[in-house]
Amino acid sequence: MTIREPTSEVDVEISINGRRHRHRVPARLLLSDYIRDTVGLTGTHLGCEHGYCGACTVIVDGDAVRSCLMLAAQVDGAEVRTVEDLAPAGSDSLSPMQQAFHDNHALQCGFCTAGFLMTLESVDPGDWTGRERIVELLSGNLCRCTGYQNIVDAVTEAWSAYHGSGGSNDG
Amino acid sequence: MKPAPFDYCRPSTVAEAVEALNSTESSRVLAGGQSLIPAMNFRLTDVSVLVDIGHVEGLDTVACDPGGVTVGAAATQTQVLDDDGVAGVVGGLRAALRHVGHLQIRNRGTVCGSLAHADPAAELPALAVASGAVIAVSGPDGERRVDAGDFFIGPFWTALEDGELITEVRFPAPPPGSVTIVDEISRRAGDFAVAGLVATVQADGGAVRSASLVGFGLGGVPTRLESAEAAIGGWAADHPAEPLAEAVMADTADAFDDIHATSWYRSEAVAALTVRAARSALAAGEAS
Repeated sequence: MTIREPTSEVDVEISINGRRHRHRVPARLLLSDYIRDTVGLTGTHLGCEHGYCGACTVIVDGDAVRSCLMLAAQVDGAEVRTVEDLAPAGSDSLSPMQQAFHDNHALQCGFCTAGFLMTLESVDPGDWTGRERIVELLSGNLCRCTGYQNIVDAVTEAWSAYHGSGGSNDG
Repeated sequence: MKPAPFDYCRPSTVAEAVEALNSTESSRVLAGGQSLIPAMNFRLTDVSVLVDIGHVEGLDTVACDPGGVTVGAAATQTQVLDDDGVAGVVGGLRAALRHVGHLQIRNRGTVCGSLAHADPAAELPALAVASGAVIAVSGPDGERRVDAGDFFIGPFWTALEDGELITEVRFPAPPPGSVTIVDEISRRAGDFAVAGLVATVQADGGAVRSASLVGFGLGGVPTRLESAEAAIGGWAADHPAEPLAEAVMADTADAFDDIHATSWYRSEAVAALTVRAARSALAAGEAS
């Protein structure tokens, strides 16, 4: 794991959605570009590429992060999850949150959706009860189509099992 | 957007990190990278060797004792925010971190990195100054400790010399019975503050006894509101707000004036935040 001598290329071994990948990458390669261009998983979208929009959000070792603000080299040895990991493998069905987005028209162009889904996937719904807390949680993801109302509705619906009926519209 | 090419290393000890930092002139420490990587993506900063301290032994710790909280250089803001011990000892840390970025930023961003970055609009440098934090620094000449009050020199400019890195910061516990309030005016949730205030207030018998008041987003470094600290002693909720507000306005007369807000607006905003903080501290004192 230790790299004592500064180097322009780094050997990385990164698990993405349960599959191990080994590559020799330029030190400056961003995790977002590694996921899209090196591994070929293009469900992760790049909006602003400087940490404002949240479209590129992925999960690294359980935490939601901006993949445009990390180097692939920093993720060596880590477990990464992307939007491709959400729906059950080998079926046409969606994850409950994806289904709730579909049912509530919580996307229009869909560019930001993967980022929203990964932020939501990373947290324990029990820590984010009530509409106000959901809005706070989603404040790090920008959507330019929906006006957010339908996204919050989708989350409220998908998490109603955790939050109980009637409790989700507090705040 | 990509950063320009650079060399990368991942030391496992502070000594190795210092050695790598001193191997070239334009070396930088990579901790959370939530400010450094965007600056590199924009090509605003020139880095030839990037020293990733994410795997340096012993730097990712958050340690609480009755006297204060010590945060290692690789400990993330989320780690500090989620630590059950922190809020009981240094309540200001949780109060400040709630305003810092978004979940995804706090999951990577570090407390020490925010101090090293020294953004004039950031909460943590102001908290460090208000609470008398001490910053531990390692460099080629060994270790030294710098009081937060001496650490911030100008916008994005600290007492860190070339080849030095922060190893930890110690936030001492505030006086018993005091309450720390971090409040700010910002245009969007999670964005940098237009202007803000860290106030540690001691009250008894329904009046403020004393307070440590430090503003941010006002000048190049956290701004101690000295005349307001003098004016606030003895202030009670039924006293007129004007003398206190005027003292803050005098302390902040040369606040930043830019596209986001005029100098007068920032000054007025921090005056209002100060009165609000004094009122909340007194209300909290009555409730407890």
